[in-house]
Amino acid sequence: MAEGKKAKLGGACDVVIIGAGNGGLAAALALAVRGAKPLVLEQHNAPGGFATSFVRGRFEFEAALHELSSIGPENNKGGVRRFLEDEGGVDIDWVPIPEAYRVILTDSGMDARLPFGEAPFIDAIEEKVPGSREPLTRYFALCREVSGALGLLAKTASNPSPKRIIKDLKKFVAESADPFDDARRNTSNVVTFLRTLPKTVDEVTLKMGIPPKAVDLLYPYWCYLGIPMSRMNFTIWAAMLIDYIDYGAWIPRLRSQEMSYAIEARVRELGGRVEYNTRVDRVLVERGRVKGVVTASGETIKTSAVIANTSPTQLYGSLVSPASESPAAALRNVNSRKLGGAGFVVYLGLDVSPVELGVNDYGYFISKTMDTDAVYGSMEKLDLVDMQATICLNNAIPDCSPPGTTIISMTTLYKPGVWDSVKPKEYAALKNRIADAMITQFDDALGTDIRSRVEEIEVATPATFARYARSFNGGIYGYELDPWDSIIPRILSEKDESYIKGLEVAGGFATMGHGFSSSLISGRSAGLKTLAGLGG
Amino acid sequence: MSELIKFDGLKDMAALLELLPERKKRMKQASAEPQTGDAMAALARALHPDIQRLVIADVRQEAAGARVFRLVPDKESGTAAPAVFRAGQYLSLKIDISGVRVARPYSISSSPADAADGGFYEITIRKKDGGFLSEHAWKEWRVGTRIEASGPAGFFCVEPLRDARHIVGLAGGSGITPFRSMLKDIVETGADVKFTLLYGVNRPDEIMFKNDLESFAAQAPDRISVHFVCCEPDAAWCGPTGFLTADSIRKLAGDPAGKSFFICGPQAMYSFLETELKQFDLPKRRIRREVFGETADVSAHPDYPADAAGKSFSMTVHCGSETTVIPAKASESALVALERAGIAPPSECRSGECGFCASILMNGKVFVIPETDRRRLAAKKFDVFHPCSSYPVSDIEVKVPLDKG
Repeated sequence: MAEGKKAKLGGACDVVIIGAGNGGLAAALALAVRGAKPLVLEQHNAPGGFATSFVRGRFEFEAALHELSSIGPENNKGGVRRFLEDEGGVDIDWVPIPEAYRVILTDSGMDARLPFGEAPFIDAIEEKVPGSREPLTRYFALCREVSGALGLLAKTASNPSPKRIIKDLKKFVAESADPFDDARRNTSNVVTFLRTLPKTVDEVTLKMGIPPKAVDLLYPYWCYLGIPMSRMNFTIWAAMLIDYIDYGAWIPRLRSQEMSYAIEARVRELGGRVEYNTRVDRVLVERGRVKGVVTASGETIKTSAVIANTSPTQLYGSLVSPASESPAAALRNVNSRKLGGAGFVVYLGLDVSPVELGVNDYGYFISKTMDTDAVYGSMEKLDLVDMQATICLNNAIPDCSPPGTTIISMTTLYKPGVWDSVKPKEYAALKNRIADAMITQFDDALGTDIRSRVEEIEVATPATFARYARSFNGGIYGYELDPWDSIIPRILSEKDESYIKGLEVAGGFATMGHGFSSSLISGRSAGLKTLAGLGG
Repeated sequence: MSELIKFDGLKDMAALLELLPERKKRMKQASAEPQTGDAMAALARALHPDIQRLVIADVRQEAAGARVFRLVPDKESGTAAPAVFRAGQYLSLKIDISGVRVARPYSISSSPADAADGGFYEITIRKKDGGFLSEHAWKEWRVGTRIEASGPAGFFCVEPLRDARHIVGLAGGSGITPFRSMLKDIVETGADVKFTLLYGVNRPDEIMFKNDLESFAAQAPDRISVHFVCCEPDAAWCGPTGFLTADSIRKLAGDPAGKSFFICGPQAMYSFLETELKQFDLPKRRIRREVFGETADVSAHPDYPADAAGKSFSMTVHCGSETTVIPAKASESALVALERAGIAPPSECRSGECGFCASILMNGKVFVIPETDRRRLAAKKFDVFHPCSSYPVSDIEVKVPLDKG
């Protein structure tokens, strides 16, 4: 087989991108629109990584996306939409998610539906928990300051160092000449940002005087970052919360696969190449410089620049070749960081309409409690996890499945390593047992009967994500975002923690953290950095 | 805090700076051992190997002109054990026939326990089913022949979270093979499910696995029952006769309400049973069928563009950095044309379902049989097609994926 296949990719190119996930595709797009001709090598047979979909019977399931942040409407585009549409020329049919979320806490019986927009969001919480309005209003102002300062940094910190950041922020305060920009005239913006930087979400939030039950309603998005609020860095939380509440959340009409095919098609149109079934097994490094990659079929492609849409743990642990070119500092770096959650998803195609079922919302956070430490703890056992984040696609896209049917997907997380002991022989029964329990968890919380209307079912486990996306240990998140490993410390350490010349990381493990939007943004910056390296 | 606060450079900078020493300290203390293992990648590979290198350990004559080939891992080539599978799944066998690499799916007729505990798969091939690979298998395959196979694939499996507790299997011809696996599995695992198998044949001598099937029913009489239904019975036949129809199904399997129906057989049987089962007024979730396989005569489809029939086209193929121009007959799938030309993109199901052969249609037109069009919506929007279930109706230009090789 291997014979006669060896030069199929053409031997050499400027930039090789390993993996056509969100990060890899975004990097390819950023490069291609600037005239570079990236070669994207993807081990699977379709683009997207997690940004994909699959067909079973008469249903097409979204594989991973719940909702994208930073998209926004046509007249108020968020950063990701501006990148894809205005900069990248990528055409995607965006659909807004109707509400922020419905949260059901089964221990306390709390059940609330929260809309987007700060005022309606606070109104809805006030209605459930009187006395929340005033502290929540202060809390949102604070989050807004932090988010604003972070946004500013993203624009100004070209060569970030602590000194540079302070300088940029001071300059920003001094130049607050824009009479329309209240945020700019408010120096507290900067101070709040700096003072909350080393703090966890709990450390800031629990001092604001927000009634505990209102905190319960405020916290559900925690599972999108997957680290308990006692450890999650406040900065990234504030930025995420404000982004969702201000811009709303969006999905591509034809599943996230529409986004990945659209980017892929645009990259090809601009002269980039994307090859499937082509796994990269080695990244060749010589004296600290990238020299090429070797594919699974044994072909060597010479290049001086590689963007790896993968985890640095994998990159330095097994891809860099020879192994002696993986610096000890890089290995200590990746070993010091905590791997985020591994995914488990139950996909259901039901032969009854959402209305008949009584499933009227798009996004559900169903949890035993909003004690995020306790819920996180339940992810350590090979059993039903205390929380599921569930979406009903029809409530954003009514015609996503045939009339009289419903698509529901339920997601939960396991900590890395929990599935390690599972034997192939017991695998099918195990995933069914957990899926069974999650269906009960949903039906019990909503008083529905989805169980008896299952026409199609598929279950994805950490092994499934490892299979299709080759994510390390089946993880669907990058490194956990503790304060010391949150975005700002990552930005400030980028220079120190750049170990191999010509090698960049894109995707959920990169500086911006995990999630679809963050991965796209980090992919873009990996593309830009690589381009700068090529030019210089 | 949202009140105007004076900027205190030193103090606030300190807050910013305290994170970096902590980060540095943690990294300094961490191990410098590379993490090379990945248990989930290993589990995924064990469940879904890209390639299983197998060798024929036994060839057994089965009734009705069928041969059962027992495949065991070719340990010298690096496959240690057969991947576990679910009863009803298939293997895509990849064979070089006089320089042409072809792949065809065959249902596994042995049970999951046979693979897990016995270390083997069995596939069963009837000579009369014809086809490129079947003929070759009959002529060439003997004990010791090496076979390359995919990992187990396919979705024709009983799923407790979806299917009724009582399954009715409707088998025709060599469509019995996945059912043999399912029944054997029920006996071996003691699964809490009832299974009524109705096996339709033209003539009594076409029944495959008669003894096996009867023995499964005898071993689990409360859970398994098997009925052979014959169209053209001989004088000795004393079972039910005729086609599998709504009436005979109802007579043999009882009230269809609350039961799940699994169908596997020739294409003609699917269309016939579709009409028959309509009389039961079952929800769609209660009827499952194995995928079609490649369509015998695409031009017979009512939507097929008549002017393309019988023609031959040219196909410009981009694969990796190479471009070739090959002939493509209207009557054959684009995948067959590619294989004939020695370009073998990955493929498994040959029914439009698995997506392994997904390619880009850059120019020209193909006919995709609507019933087997399992492409994603976005794939259609961006001109992605599955060569195995697409037929050229003009000259075409395509980009096909490399094989994993």
